[in-house]
Amino acid sequence: MNTLVQAIGFGLVSAAIIAVAAVGFTMQFGVTNILNLAYGDVMTASAYIGYLVNNAGLSIAYSLVVGAVVGGALSLALNRYLFRRYIRHGTQLFGMIVVTLSVAVIIQNILLVSFGPSFFVYRIPLGGGIKLGPARFSGVQLVIMAIAVVTMALVHVGLTRTRLGKCMRATACDAVLAQTCGVFTDRVVDAAWLLSGMLCGLAGVVLVLSTTAFQSTTGSEFLILIVAAAMLGGVGQAHGAMIAAVIVGVITSITAAYSNPSYQDIAGFGVLVIVLLWRPRGLFGKVEGERGIP
Amino acid sequence: MALSGYLATSFVYLGVYVLACWAMNLQYGVTGIYNLAFIIFQSAGAYTAAVLSLGPSSQNSSFQQYIGGYRLPFPLPILAGAVVAGVLSLVVGLVVLRRLRSDYQAIVMLTLSVMASLLVISAVPLFNGPAGLSLVPQPLATTFNVSPVTYSWLYGGFCAGLCLIVYVFVRRITSSPLGRALRTVRENDAAAAALGKNVNALRLFSFVAGGAIAGLSGALLVGYIGVWAPSTWGYAETIVVLTAVIIGGSGNDAGAFLGALLVPVLIVQGSTFIPQFGPPELVPALQWILIGVLGLVFVYFWPRGIIPERLRRFAPERPTHEPLLGAERSGSPTLE
Amino acid sequence: MLEPVPAATGASGAASLVASGGQAELLVLEDLHKSFGGVRAVAGATLSVPRGQITGLIGPNGAGKSTVVGLIGGSLRPDTGRIEFDGRPITGLPAYRRARLGLVRTYQLSSEFRRLTVLENMVAAAPMQRGERFRVLLQGRRAWRDEERQLASKARGLLDRFALGDKENEYAGNLSGGQKRLLEIARSLMARPVLLLLDEPMAGVNPTFSRTIERYLAEVNEEGVSMVLVEHELDVVERLCDSVVVMARGEVIARGDMSDVRSRPEVRNAYLVG
Repeated sequence: MNTLVQAIGFGLVSAAIIAVAAVGFTMQFGVTNILNLAYGDVMTASAYIGYLVNNAGLSIAYSLVVGAVVGGALSLALNRYLFRRYIRHGTQLFGMIVVTLSVAVIIQNILLVSFGPSFFVYRIPLGGGIKLGPARFSGVQLVIMAIAVVTMALVHVGLTRTRLGKCMRATACDAVLAQTCGVFTDRVVDAAWLLSGMLCGLAGVVLVLSTTAFQSTTGSEFLILIVAAAMLGGVGQAHGAMIAAVIVGVITSITAAYSNPSYQDIAGFGVLVIVLLWRPRGLFGKVEGERGIP
Repeated sequence: MALSGYLATSFVYLGVYVLACWAMNLQYGVTGIYNLAFIIFQSAGAYTAAVLSLGPSSQNSSFQQYIGGYRLPFPLPILAGAVVAGVLSLVVGLVVLRRLRSDYQAIVMLTLSVMASLLVISAVPLFNGPAGLSLVPQPLATTFNVSPVTYSWLYGGFCAGLCLIVYVFVRRITSSPLGRALRTVRENDAAAAALGKNVNALRLFSFVAGGAIAGLSGALLVGYIGVWAPSTWGYAETIVVLTAVIIGGSGNDAGAFLGALLVPVLIVQGSTFIPQFGPPELVPALQWILIGVLGLVFVYFWPRGIIPERLRRFAPERPTHEPLLGAERSGSPTLE
Repeated sequence: MLEPVPAATGASGAASLVASGGQAELLVLEDLHKSFGGVRAVAGATLSVPRGQITGLIGPNGAGKSTVVGLIGGSLRPDTGRIEFDGRPITGLPAYRRARLGLVRTYQLSSEFRRLTVLENMVAAAPMQRGERFRVLLQGRRAWRDEERQLASKARGLLDRFALGDKENEYAGNLSGGQKRLLEIARSLMARPVLLLLDEPMAGVNPTFSRTIERYLAEVNEEGVSMVLVEHELDVVERLCDSVVVMARGEVIARGDMSDVRSRPEVRNAYLVG
């Protein structure tokens, strides 16, 4: 029983990280219908820049902010100057996968060339922690979960209360329809990439806070779990992604606790495969068709 | 490395990657299957050939653990590699090949690729986990007691021979009505089904045939380089082959050949010819960046590749029994 | 010239209304239901399609016509209900098997094989070719080149008839919209259809060209191919169809002659309310 509670506890920490990342990913996917496989590497890039900030002596809070800004700027630039060009040019769904994969490879290797292959570590002067029954949460883990909760709350408010949020949800449902309703899709799309990119960058820094040591491949290794949560929650469904993140986080954590820890990721990936093969629209998605790219 | 040694090695790699590209072309170029798990099948072939040609694991003063170890003679391990990869393709294909939108299909495959990698890393007794297999004997190396360079040329010649044999079969597929049926599946599988094509069977056939050829290429490669570890077969390797096929020209065999020459051989192996500069990870990283950039450039400007799929003409109708004039395609002789 | 309806059904030409199945009703739908995630697209559709005729399927938007076409063609499975074609039950049969029995469906949006030439599109449409068997791996060209030659010849004849003869080496994707429509119909004839399921063949085509397509369809029908025609333009339906089936809200609400059905109150209401 103790193992289970501990596992769930740890699963919630994973879920926190996955949630921030998955919400960003699903927004990008929902609004532009692009499966952005470079997402993980944008996370890594943000983590590296955040590290530079941290290494210069500033506190983690600055790293988080800088990470978010870097993630947002990079994602916005990628969509505006690269992805959109391809789409306007006529590249189809699989072509875009090749494009995002190529971008992923490029980013990852630029990071490798710039920073070298060794592992980097943030300086985190956070001690302490609390005990909830048999589960222990370190200070860092608590901060991570707090960040996740606050971010998710902001996302929820943003999507439901602001005009931009409503536009984004409309575009995620049907871009053509949204366009005829007078929503200026291009600007909405830009905003979506900026905001989701900020989530991506934030998630990148949060991820390395929990893994402590990171290198150029850290983000892309995490990507499939993010995609798993996003697909399970339903494409474009931010709330779905949050719930799915908890499910994925807890499943992987329980698998780690009760069997060989190296199988934990396999369990998470298995979730993704099963979702895509059996119910591609996930838990909360709309009925899927082969939607075009707006 | 001396020039002739480099050329010999490139010759071997050309053979290996031509097979890989033909396989990927059959699946992706002709049939439209987004097989981002390609590397699994090449690896299956490599691991099979390796564990069958190695001696029993206990003999290696137990520094490698693996299944098999029957020390089978050439060419059995290589053939077995192709067969095992084909069977694995059949199993995987039956489960995951279905009417799924193209990017989801790609994600499923990619995920399977990563899962397979993790599985092999975790289940150490299978294939020695993350350390991988090494000291895989080179086929017939002791029988022909020749210099490494000469051996490379001989091995390359053997690969070339296999390529010719495989080409006969690949050509039979792509130039026949079967190939055309596969292309209709690529173009519009719903319309193909509405015209009586058994789309699932056709896809599965292409997947298995491609998988077997991929396994063959893996078996050949491991016999030459003697090692195979999970770090050398991440999903990124699939990107190399896919980019090669896209650049060379998807949908046709000559294009796949060109792709194999350009990307895996010239770019990847060509690095051994460039003097090492900077830290050791710099040159491989630059290679990857180059491959990524090439992929981006070609998908935008030349999505059909350097040698696009050619227009297929039928022999013109002849009112009388005159000799054919310049007929390229499925022509027929004048009289039976 | 179109060749007679294939030996597979033992029928030949419009003269044979009593085919192997022994019925005048070529296609029978019994109480079909189909829902998509809570939305009932088809709720108890029952209809029969007589042999040798062109039967129209009309109704306002959202009536369930496209779903019925999908159910007949085999791309959709009904939740409940039965379908019989030429006397045999085909409810569970996948689309490609139905096509091989002679139930050929065309698609509303362009469904030509874009990167195949026009002639390839045609020849590819012939069902169950010897050269398509996996055995080809072991046999080589000799096994299929005769059949290929015959198919090419037949295809060229059809292309000439549909005024596409000079386009045989064009990529199908480069044809104009109207030409693609003609190709679609010509191609479906290569599949030796007993029943052609036409999903809005005139959609997006200019009125003059629409007349051309009408003429072709009438010709093809006269040579023995039965048809189910889903169409919005009611005057086209009136000219072309021997009888119509009217659907609304997922059910069949009327059937009979166009002129007769047109005046019925329930039909008028359906179009108004939609």
